[in-house]
Amino acid sequence: MIFLALTFKGGTHLKQYKNTKKFPIEKMTPPSEISISMSQHIGAPCVPTVNVGDYVFQGQIIGEPAENSGCPIHASVSGKIKAITSYKDMQGRHIQTVVIENDGKYELSPNIIPTAKKLTEVTSEEIIEIVRRAGILGMGGAAFPTYAKIQSAIGKAEKLIVNCAECEPFITADHRLMLERPLEIINGTKILLKAIGSRKAYIAIEDNKMDAVEKLEEKIGKSQMIKMKILRSKYPQGDERQLVYAITKKEIPSGKLPTDVGCVVFNAETCAAVFRAFVYGMPSIEKIVTVSGDAVTTPKNVLAPIGASYRDLISFCDGLKKDPRKLICGGPMMGTAQSDLDAPITKGTSALLVFSDEMCHEEDENYTCIRCGRCVNTCPMRLMPNYLAQFSRNGRYEDCEKYDVMSCVECGTCSYSCPGHVPIVQHIRSAKEALRKKATSLPDLDKK
Amino acid sequence: MNDVKNMADESMLFTVSPSPHLRHGDTTRSIMTDVIIALIPAFIWGVICFGLRALAVVALSVGSAIFFEYGIQKILKKNITIRDGSASLTGLLLGLSLPTSVPYFMPVVGSFFAIVIVKQLFGGIGKNFMNPALAARVFLFAWPGEMIRFTEPFKRLGFFASNKAIDAISTATPLGSLKEGVLPDIAWGDLIIGRSGGSIGEVSSVLLIVGGLYLLVRKVISWHIPVSFIGTVALLAAIFPQNEDTVAFIFSQLFAGGLILGAFFMATDYVTSPITNKGKLIFGAGCGMIVIFIRYFGGYPEGVSFAILIMNSLVYYIDKITKPRAFGKSRRGAKHG
Repeated sequence: MIFLALTFKGGTHLKQYKNTKKFPIEKMTPPSEISISMSQHIGAPCVPTVNVGDYVFQGQIIGEPAENSGCPIHASVSGKIKAITSYKDMQGRHIQTVVIENDGKYELSPNIIPTAKKLTEVTSEEIIEIVRRAGILGMGGAAFPTYAKIQSAIGKAEKLIVNCAECEPFITADHRLMLERPLEIINGTKILLKAIGSRKAYIAIEDNKMDAVEKLEEKIGKSQMIKMKILRSKYPQGDERQLVYAITKKEIPSGKLPTDVGCVVFNAETCAAVFRAFVYGMPSIEKIVTVSGDAVTTPKNVLAPIGASYRDLISFCDGLKKDPRKLICGGPMMGTAQSDLDAPITKGTSALLVFSDEMCHEEDENYTCIRCGRCVNTCPMRLMPNYLAQFSRNGRYEDCEKYDVMSCVECGTCSYSCPGHVPIVQHIRSAKEALRKKATSLPDLDKK
Repeated sequence: MNDVKNMADESMLFTVSPSPHLRHGDTTRSIMTDVIIALIPAFIWGVICFGLRALAVVALSVGSAIFFEYGIQKILKKNITIRDGSASLTGLLLGLSLPTSVPYFMPVVGSFFAIVIVKQLFGGIGKNFMNPALAARVFLFAWPGEMIRFTEPFKRLGFFASNKAIDAISTATPLGSLKEGVLPDIAWGDLIIGRSGGSIGEVSSVLLIVGGLYLLVRKVISWHIPVSFIGTVALLAAIFPQNEDTVAFIFSQLFAGGLILGAFFMATDYVTSPITNKGKLIFGAGCGMIVIFIRYFGGYPEGVSFAILIMNSLVYYIDKITKPRAFGKSRRGAKHG
């Protein structure tokens, strides 16, 4: 613990479960079949540019954005296109997938060539195009196209923040990346600084990863452009708003973005991906995924090809040692429970957790708020979650709005802390959903 | 080890539930248990001080609270919640706030009022707007003679003491003499240890403070209400002393009577106190002011129960005016922008 570590008000100290932090990243042998989702980033899905029976190289583009916004999707292995099909995701949407039969040769696409120019010679537009063509998305989970983020930050963001907080329990993917490939993060950051035209970058990291701090500091050396910022290990320290606040003491106004306070935030692995795209021309075709949870036989940090299935990753970790009860894609606080073991990982998958009965709590049907106030004291957005849940339960959505329900970032701290087992975030989600629907469906007659 | 390759059917068994998928270990039951644990030393002292009859009064009050909770929930076809410990706690608090010499029907009637009227008819745990134990205690003033008759410490009463026997050892409480403008005739040490007359659980300030500290350490309660409550009483007593010996007067105001029990265990009741820290400070200060007001100008020597009940009724409004400014909102942003 660093005494003067930066932080924010509220939040909670979680048990960390970071039992994979000492395990080096292991490259997984890609499975014989890869199924790549055409819906990697938010917004319209991509359209396949290949047909069944085509041969594709590793790193070849197989999907292009339908409209002119978004970035392409690449094959993560070489081989024949076996099928173009779909699977149902957890929201019930049918997601188109391109299935590639892995020929095991990993023949690289001839289009993958290093950038000819040096960083000092390259223009911002050129970097943005490299990043876009490489299909790089925010790898912390939000999966927002990185090139678009760079564009929106130009002229606005003076400070670039590299998010290495990794505040969710279990996940150690970024931690390992920092330890094993610190230069990729640092150089990626420099490329991003150049693209944005900003001169100052902060690497923000929680104080439970001091080994990574040392490593990065050593590699940063005398560079004045990049500084380390050490944050207190507290959930949700990695949330963009809390992160920017901890470092700049500025609150991002409600409904606004970090650029509105002169900041732009990139995830550590995103920076590394930018570096690899710039230096090797390598598109985003793999992801570091922490596979953990009490039911997994050998928890690991896996470097997995995009499109490998959950089942493939778990097999690579020697399968399960206990009966599984929950399969979670992402961290235990904000990740989504999955039902389909054959769903593929995407560019936003940072963890895959399998919990047995012991790690799962029973949903309590007779939940009751006893007004202990823990949700209020721990809410990083300083809301009153108990009132929000109560209003939402009674359909009083206008009251939810008055109590700033739309500011909720759904970090889950309130539900986690609640001794009465009220599914607070879930009630809040319903209220937000109802308010969004109302805002889009009904013309506002009052404001005429 | 299960072979993942053969897990196709098992995948149907995954539980799908919304995040978060972790939960803090504390439950309503564990919190109630902590409060009960914190009250045990003061309770044991009460029995040592006032005899086995004190034990009987508290046992009746706890037992009937659980019985009524079970009964009313059975009748109303609600989920039975006696396992969450809140009925036991209400019974315990009620019992501890009664004099040892009350007739045995009183804790039972009190528990009925607390559990059935104040708590369950308002919707059960979390919904009542008044502290059930205190509301019941005040209800029992329907028998005023019994509620203000206190017996001398260490003249222990048996289970079936006659009225005459009780009268023979009844005594003025320290607060009673304070009301007359006279400092209680009792050594300071005896007062805070609890060698004085009073309700079963209120006499030993030291043991109550120990219990309160336990709750603070366990993070069951926060410091805001006890500090602002007790602090306000001390401050007002210092500004408006009713005796030349100001220090002794403040001391008696704090440790004679139910202030410590009330400030640590009754005013901090989650359901009936504000949810924000700022609100808690306001709530505690309000309680302190009303206590002094009643003790100085009221017809009855003690005012802690009344003060807390009055402030209970303001909790919703205190919450409303102390709503924190949400992250990223301007101060006026709470209004429609």
